[in-house]
Amino acid sequence: MALRRFVLRRLVEIAVIFFVIMTVLFILFRLAPGDPVSRMVDPSMTPEDARLLMESMGLDQPLWTQYIYYLKNVVTGNMGVSFHYGEPVIGILMDRLPNTILLFTTSIILSALLGVFLGKIAAWRRGERIDTLMTIGALFCHTLFLPWLALIMIWFFGYRVGWFPITGMISPEVWIHPDAGFMAKALDVLYHMVLPLMTLVLIHFGSYLLVMRSSMLDTLKDDYIITARAKGLDEKTIRDHHAAPNAALPVVTSVGLSLAFSINGGALTETVFTWPGIGRELVFSVSHSDYPLAQAAFLLIAIVVLVANLVVDVLYAYLDPRIRY
Amino acid sequence: MGHPSSLSPTPKNTHSISAGKQRHHWVERFLDGWAVYRKNTIGRIGMALLGIFALMALASFVPQMVDPMYHPMTGVDPEISHSTGPSMRHWLGTDFIGRDIFSQLLAGARIAFMVGISSALISILFGTTIGMVAGYAGKGTDIWVIVLMIALFRWPGVARVIRSQTLSLKHRPFIEAARVAGASHGRIIFRHILPNVMPLALLYMTFRVTSAIIIEAALAFLGFGDPGSVSWGMMLQWVWKTGHMFQAPYWLLPPGICISLITMAFYMAGRAMDDVLDPRLRKEEIKP
Amino acid sequence: MISRCRWLSHLCLLFTVMAIMACHEESRSNALKIGLAEEPRTLNIWLASDANSRKVLSLIYQPLYIYDPDTLDLVPWLAESMPMFDEQNLTYTVRLRKAKWSDGTPFTSLDVAFTGRLIQSFKVPRYSSKWKFIKQIETPDLHTVVFHLKKPMASFLTGTLFTPMVQEKEWASVAEKAKTTEKPVAALLNHRVHHPVGTGPFTLEQWQRGAFLHLKKSSYFFGTGKTINGRILGPYVDDLVYTVFGTSDVAVLALKKGSIDMFWWPIQPGYLADLSRQADIRLFTNEKSALYFIGFNLRHAPFDDPALRRAVAYLIDKDFIVSRILQGQGTKMFSVVPAENRFWYASDLPRYGDGLSRENRLKTAYRLLSEAGYTWTVPPVDADGDIQPAKAIRLPTGQTMNRFTILTPPADYDPHRAISGLMIQEWLRDLGLPAYARPMAFSSLLQQVKGNHDFDAFILGYGRLRLDPGYVRNLFHSSNDKSRGWNMSGYHNPAFDRVADRSVTEMDPGKRQVLVKEMQKMIARDLPYIPLYKPSVVEAVRKDRFDGWVEMLEGIGNIWSMCQVKPVKHDGA
Repeated sequence: MALRRFVLRRLVEIAVIFFVIMTVLFILFRLAPGDPVSRMVDPSMTPEDARLLMESMGLDQPLWTQYIYYLKNVVTGNMGVSFHYGEPVIGILMDRLPNTILLFTTSIILSALLGVFLGKIAAWRRGERIDTLMTIGALFCHTLFLPWLALIMIWFFGYRVGWFPITGMISPEVWIHPDAGFMAKALDVLYHMVLPLMTLVLIHFGSYLLVMRSSMLDTLKDDYIITARAKGLDEKTIRDHHAAPNAALPVVTSVGLSLAFSINGGALTETVFTWPGIGRELVFSVSHSDYPLAQAAFLLIAIVVLVANLVVDVLYAYLDPRIRY
Repeated sequence: MGHPSSLSPTPKNTHSISAGKQRHHWVERFLDGWAVYRKNTIGRIGMALLGIFALMALASFVPQMVDPMYHPMTGVDPEISHSTGPSMRHWLGTDFIGRDIFSQLLAGARIAFMVGISSALISILFGTTIGMVAGYAGKGTDIWVIVLMIALFRWPGVARVIRSQTLSLKHRPFIEAARVAGASHGRIIFRHILPNVMPLALLYMTFRVTSAIIIEAALAFLGFGDPGSVSWGMMLQWVWKTGHMFQAPYWLLPPGICISLITMAFYMAGRAMDDVLDPRLRKEEIKP
Repeated sequence: MISRCRWLSHLCLLFTVMAIMACHEESRSNALKIGLAEEPRTLNIWLASDANSRKVLSLIYQPLYIYDPDTLDLVPWLAESMPMFDEQNLTYTVRLRKAKWSDGTPFTSLDVAFTGRLIQSFKVPRYSSKWKFIKQIETPDLHTVVFHLKKPMASFLTGTLFTPMVQEKEWASVAEKAKTTEKPVAALLNHRVHHPVGTGPFTLEQWQRGAFLHLKKSSYFFGTGKTINGRILGPYVDDLVYTVFGTSDVAVLALKKGSIDMFWWPIQPGYLADLSRQADIRLFTNEKSALYFIGFNLRHAPFDDPALRRAVAYLIDKDFIVSRILQGQGTKMFSVVPAENRFWYASDLPRYGDGLSRENRLKTAYRLLSEAGYTWTVPPVDADGDIQPAKAIRLPTGQTMNRFTILTPPADYDPHRAISGLMIQEWLRDLGLPAYARPMAFSSLLQQVKGNHDFDAFILGYGRLRLDPGYVRNLFHSSNDKSRGWNMSGYHNPAFDRVADRSVTEMDPGKRQVLVKEMQKMIARDLPYIPLYKPSVVEAVRKDRFDGWVEMLEGIGNIWSMCQVKPVKHDGA
């Protein structure tokens, strides 16, 4: 009962926060210097052309009219038309969303699997050299600067040894081939995913390793493990079948949040690997003053993150019975 | 927004009222903690690295005093007009127009500390930022705007963790006991909950510092940085945008390694501190 | 545990197989693979203002005339011959070629008239100014168009005739529908085009957003097999495949690896040393129609004084900028019209300080300013004529000169301009001028300079100047001195305005040339802008794949190249 009331209250909060974010976004973009038309510095464009363009984008209207128009758009779910592409914003974002989800979901799941696997070992052999090595290694990988690593990876695996395509998501040769089937196309995408995946996993597995390690250490102190030991079960069974599944719970929560954040976390990866996802569109729209597209992209991210936060709060309530709402 | 500002003076008051006992307690706690910290290898490495970076940040004022050509932003070697490798004159070589990479690296350390620590502080004391927004609004891009942006978007995370920790503390026996003993809400919050939340807040601060540094570097790298300041992200962007990425390792490697090392140093210090403060908090982990 | 290991090993195996597959799938096709630096914006020709959309659409939609790659003269393209001018009635008559649209229907004068009326009725941005002086478009027969002009207008030949033609069949219904909406222009610009119908050498086959764009040879292209302007036109390639690269260093890697055959984007000087060592890569260096300059705010002190601007012109060492900052990939400029625009360029302008040594530049500037009444606490040149560090310059009014800033784009946007700003700052300080270069985010810079007029000096550039010199009037005419107007300096000169206004309506190219040169002379004398330099366009292609590129102003990426480029024949292949 209390939980339901809590969820309801949080939903109202989310609505309020969403409205605030929406307004702040609008103001931030309008306050930012420059507008989409002033970027076009071709001197053959007459001031009249500029005025016409501003008019066609609705930028000649007073700010509050624009704001009401924007609110109306958000409420009706029609986020307006991108200045740059001249197409409905929703269509563009929905077009890019699957690409982002594909890359980042895969990378998070792979890093979590690797992190859980290594974290388990590190905790099991706590204090030994392998534990210290893994902890420091994980920290080091986690702190690598992503675009820097990505470019070095591209140079080495894409160019120097040439095993993988340099960037992009698909190779035109495969796709324009008249008898390319679904399998060939899917394999092609997979092949392009290897390099970004390697980069992302290398950077992200560390945090899962550390979470898993400390959670496992806690679990190992619990009574049921001692009971299992007393029963004379062999160590490997205890580790893999008793301790690990329970210890992995925080990792699951963490994966949940990461999935929500990954929707924007990909700006750097997508830019460097030319991966046609939301993050790249976000960078592009901000640098080109494409307000409708940038606003919609940020709102999409905001809503996903807000909802994920709610889900995590509820999950915490289940996981830690001490928390009462 | 008056909440954090009204919060900060209160603990000080409690200090002065019950001065002797309280300080003794805190000093002792600190010394105990330091003893534990010193035994921690990871913590020692972290501290040493932070020390080196702090030295770098301090040293960043020196090169331009030696010769104006070592100014990280505007100093150009009069005899060099393209990127050159390390030499006696330029220890890490020069960038595409003959600026000294080593002095840029030092200046980058300063920016990293500034961005990291200030945005972490701000994200914890969010209330003070409002004044800054008013002060700096409409001035174009400026390093403070970047700091502010990072702080703005990161504070809810801190708030969420602190809130859940408080929620969990609220029902612990010692709080219940205090309530039964008739303590006021203010007293419970500041004398019992705050000291228990502080370690977590501090721990989170070290994580926030690292993420602020990384975010600043990322923004600079993507071209949303402050063009008037030399940060490591900015240096990487120059390598990248001027086409020296795969041709000038002496220029590409140092900023990238520095970003990694400084974030790692903060993590290590944070982890060691976390061992010191409360082993139970070890679960609070870094966010990808 | 074991099952996971097996799963991992399967994955490894899969990747290995794929890697091997990829190595084998060496493309033998006759497709020209082009790298782009950004995704094309749209396929709607009226919205396409960006360089990347034009790289695609210029091969689909064709104008009546194009430029000759060598002489930059008009070449009849969709037109059959040169336009005939009737001075009495102010009409131009254009005969059309027997061309076909890519859907097989014939291209007629009705399409030309439709295009013109569409632009006029919708006031299509960027095109409407080139059509609004046309009173009437007549079509006496299917292959003749007569344009009636309201008044003599020089930009007819260089603007109107270069408008890409669209098909009435494709656009009539779109226009009808757009007219019924609240914002007709927006509806027209935002109309989504899936299959552009043009008269050009290529047609769109497929566009995978964010990945690639595929053009196929058009079987209806009018030029195929014909000799136009002494060139036998193809196209000789069946497919063009455009891929987008988020960053140019990755594109350069792709070129070196052979994943693309051409990178359609200027290459930064940083890559050149490495690329010129590659055996399979050929570099093309071409001139650009561009203008990079330092501009001043003539509205207030200190730059309201032409003497000071002239002294600054003496101090700026353009040779240094070109040889060091541009690494030799550019040329210095002395007029606001680039020298490559041979017909309009005035070659006899003052070249302030050209060829002088640093010391002599400083001495000349010092002399100029002393004569104009400027004084120093410590002058830059001492009594014996030796250079010394100058201190505290005072205006002729006796006031100390306040510090002023030179705004530049940030180093990541354009390193050349940012660094030029820094160097100019140093040179000006030698004379005791309190100059401060300040890199500023590009949009803030435009806001300050163009919107608010709140600046002292700035460095900007135009990368794609049209060949028609109409912009000289736009940039300096006093009527354009308003917020967001083109006259950013605030230059007011009634004599210039008169000449500029005459140049707009002068139909005789010879007479117009005299006027345009006169305008350049005035600018070079008063110096609201000091032209600095113009970078060259360096482009790279794989020489083992295709050959026959046509070099032109702006580089090899032009319609002539795409109509003439041929696969390289390998021996034994």
